[in-house]
Amino acid sequence: MRVRLTWPAFLRRGARRRAGSDLHALVGAYVLDALPEAERASFERHLLGCEQCRDDTGALSEATAKLGATAVVPPRPDLREQVIRSAGMTRQLPPAVPAQQDPRHASRTAGRLAAAHRRLWLAVAAAAVAVALAVTSIALGLHLSSMQNRLSAAEQRDSAIAAVLTAKDATTLTAHVQTGGTATVVMSHRAHALVFIARGLSDLPPSKAYELWLMGPAGRTPAGMLPPPGHHGMTGPMVVGQLAPGDQLALIVVPAGGSRNPTSAPIVLVALGY
Amino acid sequence: MLGGDAAGGGDPVSGRPPAMRGVRRDASGEASLEAVLAEVAKGNEAAFRAVYDQAAPAVLGIARRVLRDPAQSEEVMQEVLLEVWRTASRFDPAAGSATAWIMTLAHRRSVDRVRSEQRAAERELRAASAPVAYDEVTDAVEATLEQERVRRCLDGLTDLQRESVTLAYYGGYTYAEVARLLGAPVGTIKTRMRDGLIRLRDCLGVD
Repeated sequence: MRVRLTWPAFLRRGARRRAGSDLHALVGAYVLDALPEAERASFERHLLGCEQCRDDTGALSEATAKLGATAVVPPRPDLREQVIRSAGMTRQLPPAVPAQQDPRHASRTAGRLAAAHRRLWLAVAAAAVAVALAVTSIALGLHLSSMQNRLSAAEQRDSAIAAVLTAKDATTLTAHVQTGGTATVVMSHRAHALVFIARGLSDLPPSKAYELWLMGPAGRTPAGMLPPPGHHGMTGPMVVGQLAPGDQLALIVVPAGGSRNPTSAPIVLVALGY
Repeated sequence: MLGGDAAGGGDPVSGRPPAMRGVRRDASGEASLEAVLAEVAKGNEAAFRAVYDQAAPAVLGIARRVLRDPAQSEEVMQEVLLEVWRTASRFDPAAGSATAWIMTLAHRRSVDRVRSEQRAAERELRAASAPVAYDEVTDAVEATLEQERVRRCLDGLTDLQRESVTLAYYGGYTYAEVARLLGAPVGTIKTRMRDGLIRLRDCLGVD
């Protein structure tokens, strides 16, 4: 109570109760570093005894870090050696010994929750396929009927496509193909997969074909030959799964039978932000 | 089509593919960044160079966003990277990603710098003349799916949620200052910050 009286009026209004739910409400402001110092310190004390808050804080920190993802400024080259040199003159902290590590319990819980969350999400995605297919295929300019026909034709592949299209985190990006036409990628980080659709690709001589490749730090892997264009000059949809960190999706013109090691430059390259 | 920008911008096929330069670029590349951090904790200088190359541009990016001043931002970037070196042994991969750990250090250090070095009056002046920080999200250097995702997810927030989150994160304001700028009660702003981040988390698909 005494603490409360010393606060400025504009704080007092929002701080009716200091314990429990009021502190929980601060988790957003805490993660955004929007708490004044004193409140940050008291929130951190609260975190030590509040497992739920630690879980919330962790999950929201991951999301918040993505906000920082929108600005990249390459540092002046000379700063690199300066920092490395300073590091060489700075003693590192020893690891925390187990007795100090009470976040450990929280981490295990978070892992379990995440797994449960993933299971739940898969169930929801499966259930939502029919409805959401209709919505997303309109968005993609596809004909619903043709999508449904495909669903019966190759159910397994198409449920994978649907899982991507219906994923809550699905993101769509359209790129111009250098040799003509457009390529659309719908990707879900959660599903570790993307759906590729091209439109208006240039005709190729019979000896050539389009092939998708994943180009990653670990090397390049073929991700499927494009089928011949269907209705309205549309090619696909193709599903590409098992995306790995650092992968980029490339569309390459290769010999008709495919290529083990394509030499021509990609005509589309999409950074997957993975 | 839904997508706004062309994936490769003007030239999707430049000889040099857009490299994974920022920490933030490879949300799931964290596995490797975490492994590299474990090496840094052992005093491995080569590993630290790798962390620098991956993290420094994103760290400098957020410092610039918050501080605006290039010289101060460079100082903060160096401090943060040194902090990563110094405290690498305390990074707990089970508690969160390496990217989030580094970006949290970077943002907090930037905000602390703002608060310690600038008086409130100066900040208010700056706020009055600065455009809403959210707009800057659009000056991405390269259109990547990651940036597109963040932008789209921010668009999915209510105006008050979005302004609360972006003024705090990009502007470095306290919730009380945000409330003042937006003319809303502080209790409302705290709640919008939390709800906005929850919605952002769900939209971004962060586990």
